[in-house]
Amino acid sequence: MNRLILFGLIASLSFAWTGPLHAEEPATAEEIIAASDAVRNPDKPFSLKTTLIEYRSGKESDRMVLIVYSKEEKSGGQYRTLVRFIEPSRDENKLMLKTGNILWFFDPASKASVRISPQQRLMGQASNGDVVTVNFHKDYKGTIEGVETITDAEKNSRNCYRVNMIAANDSVTYHRIEYWVEKESYQPVKGKFYSESERLLKTAYYRNYQEQLGKRRPTDTIIIDGVDSKLVTKMSFSDYNYRDIPEEWFQKEYLPRFKGN
Amino acid sequence: MKTLSIAFRNIFRNARRSIMTVLAIAVSAISILLFGGFVSAIIYGLETGIVQGTGHLQIYQKGFFDYGSGNPAAYGISHYEDVIKYITEDPQLNQLVEIATPVLRIYGIAGNFAADTSKTFFGLGMVPSERDKMRNWNDYNLKENRRPELGLFDSDTEGGVVGYGMARMLQLCDALHLENCTDKAPDTAASSAPAGEDFSSLIALDAEEQSKAPEDKRPKLDLLAATVSGAPNVLTLFVNKAENRGIKEVDDSFVAMHLSFAQRLLYGKGEKKVSGIVLQLKHTKDIPVVEKRLAEIFSARNLNFEVKDFKQLSPMYGQTISMFISIFTFLALIMGVIVLFTIVNTMSMCVMERVNEIGTVRALGVRRSGVLRLFLTEGCLMGVLGATFGSLIAVVAALLINTSGMTWTPPNYVQPVFLTIRVFVNPAFLPVTWLVLILLAVMSSFIPARKAARMMIVDALRHV
Amino acid sequence: MNQNGFAVRMVEVSKNYLMGKVEVQALRSITLDVPTKKFNVIIGPSGSGKTTLLNLIGCIDAPSSGSMEICGSDMAMLSDDESSDFRARNIGFIFQNFNLMPVLSAYENVEYPLLLTRTSGKERKERVLQMIEAVGLGGHKHHRPNELSGGQRQRVAIARALVKGPQLVLADEPTANLDSKTGQGIIDLMREMQVKNHTTFIFSSHDKQIMDHADNVFAIRDGELVNDNKGGLS
Repeated sequence: MNRLILFGLIASLSFAWTGPLHAEEPATAEEIIAASDAVRNPDKPFSLKTTLIEYRSGKESDRMVLIVYSKEEKSGGQYRTLVRFIEPSRDENKLMLKTGNILWFFDPASKASVRISPQQRLMGQASNGDVVTVNFHKDYKGTIEGVETITDAEKNSRNCYRVNMIAANDSVTYHRIEYWVEKESYQPVKGKFYSESERLLKTAYYRNYQEQLGKRRPTDTIIIDGVDSKLVTKMSFSDYNYRDIPEEWFQKEYLPRFKGN
Repeated sequence: MKTLSIAFRNIFRNARRSIMTVLAIAVSAISILLFGGFVSAIIYGLETGIVQGTGHLQIYQKGFFDYGSGNPAAYGISHYEDVIKYITEDPQLNQLVEIATPVLRIYGIAGNFAADTSKTFFGLGMVPSERDKMRNWNDYNLKENRRPELGLFDSDTEGGVVGYGMARMLQLCDALHLENCTDKAPDTAASSAPAGEDFSSLIALDAEEQSKAPEDKRPKLDLLAATVSGAPNVLTLFVNKAENRGIKEVDDSFVAMHLSFAQRLLYGKGEKKVSGIVLQLKHTKDIPVVEKRLAEIFSARNLNFEVKDFKQLSPMYGQTISMFISIFTFLALIMGVIVLFTIVNTMSMCVMERVNEIGTVRALGVRRSGVLRLFLTEGCLMGVLGATFGSLIAVVAALLINTSGMTWTPPNYVQPVFLTIRVFVNPAFLPVTWLVLILLAVMSSFIPARKAARMMIVDALRHV
Repeated sequence: MNQNGFAVRMVEVSKNYLMGKVEVQALRSITLDVPTKKFNVIIGPSGSGKTTLLNLIGCIDAPSSGSMEICGSDMAMLSDDESSDFRARNIGFIFQNFNLMPVLSAYENVEYPLLLTRTSGKERKERVLQMIEAVGLGGHKHHRPNELSGGQRQRVAIARALVKGPQLVLADEPTANLDSKTGQGIIDLMREMQVKNHTTFIFSSHDKQIMDHADNVFAIRDGELVNDNKGGLS
């Protein structure tokens, strides 16, 4: 179940909407982060399809396809995401629900809902969910450390702000994130995610920018595990759609009744 | 004294029968003493081992014992140094408590990612010097029960000890020079799946600065755990050694580390707490007094703690002890019944054979009580002979067994331990057994003896 | 001690006992006085009640009715322990089958009654040795009964009966298991002891020859005294 647990998580939580965009040239770290969030995340409730491939020592070791439904809370606070598993067939129709920091897993065969603890999310794909996650702007305080040129995942040189983001509250997963955002486009290029003990937990590359839902967005995210050095995950997003998502989908009690479409 | 001499000679009138009876008593004595000594060794040995390893009492936040294993972080004790001070500076507890030391439970995933393996671990953060001191406890003067040193040191904040099974599963056999254990060869079978993209250049871009501790040759483990706020955290532990933890489930997931290491992992830069405070007393019998005093101290300072003793913490201890004591009691009862029947039978035959003699001595002026006394003395004497002989044999047998090197494996244990029989660790055991068997012999003789005493003289004399 | 000079005074003493479901009358209303310091014989055929009479006199049985005074004490008043003590002090027994303790030597058998009367060690030794010599067994004192002949055993029994200086010695058919020569020797010894120690002897026999040695003879038949001898009847 761990594998499932958050192959799903990963894709799920990823998306959050940040709010109105700033048109003029942002100067502050906060504005940079907010803009880069907006690049990644659509501004209205939406769904998309995620194809997740896990590589070990360069060889494909696992593959999943998920549908993700994402919607911000009315008050503009937490992001809620519901994930439905499509492939492989043995996991079809299993569900995962993330609201804030709380994660539920539902198996239609046993009709059981299980809450997943932080310990269970330490390893494997479960841990990746929070990399692609929501609102850096809301949960982190950033400082611009400089401007530098780095190589992106497509082997291109990119001119980026390097922003150091420190967790602003206790409920986030990563204590510190080093983030490279391209100067004019505010496209996030790369992120390095650190634990409280200053160990590098993940490195993420955002690539394959395409026009989706009104903006050029990264449709691929490559996550390199910092602790388990042989593990690399590629997430590819497709089938972006704005859609109305009923509130009740984000209630754990509703999970057994979810039919989806 | 004459009674004794007469009783003695009477016993050996039918030497074979008396010897059989004495032997039956001796065998009872031997069985009870040997099995009881075996049980004693288990009880005192188990207790000593537990008290050395985990102390007599543990203090937790209320609710931890019942619910804490699902979420240990929620039950941390704040300002634990103060709590320890309250205990060590209390004049009454000062005399009774040997050591008070904090402990932090933590669990997560331990990974040897160089070898591509990882395993969930259940870890304990402790203060090494205090735990080593705990291993000196030996209230019962048992010679071979000392556990080996912990393998952690106060100055070695990043060192750790793992269970044997854990070491094996994390491929540390070679690195730790473990016996009976070999690392699996890495799985080189080419996966049939497509090679996929090549990320090696990306990875190389960020090749983390080579771990900057080439001087430290000890094997490394990455310990991943969730902090109290649920965020993942990871620290590198250097493994000093592997220790066999006895019980397989424990052995397969055990990691011991310095308290500060565990606190860094669980609390990060936040307030450092502990999950419990371990108390080792000078003597086990002081547990109730100490518990009472702790309750007073805690209620006076409004601390919502619970205190558990080692029997509550290791239910297996209580269950093992109960089981052995039940078996022992059962055995003792059976032996007692055998002694009873044997003596009743023997003494009845004695009385039957000496009816005429009973009549004679009664005629000569011996009172009823005198006849009773005579036969009771004979029974008592057989009891003394049997019990004493049996006790001697048991002591010698115990000595032989203890030095024989025989082993057995207790329930739930991974490795066998030496078979030991301790007849003297509880100083009352042998004397009481000896005495009880003799009393039993006397009591068993009572009915036949009373029969003899109550005989009508003339009827007895008529008997041939 | 008895002021009137009687060792035994019996008034209308009867003894019944149950044999299965049948009640047997062993003695019928015996009235008898036995003088002290005499050699008395009770004579009668087997089944006449001699043994029963001796048992009553020896205080090892109690009458069904009537009163008995032995050496001045009313036996009915004594508890079991008291009568045991009484016997220990005052009555010596000599049995037909000798009834020696097989685990004790001749010396120890003779010594036995003195242990019951708590005599001191030194005095015990004196008396025992004296008695053993008196019965002529000085050389056999450390022999066990199974190492002695019938006659020797009875001698030991006599010594045992007399060692504590009892007022009364009872002997039930003491010569029954001995040949006539040995038996005669025993009778002679008993007579001698009786005279020397001034003890009252009562013994039973169905041997008419013994009558000649007796001071008093009491005949008994079918549980009743028979009036056919010299003196002794009240």
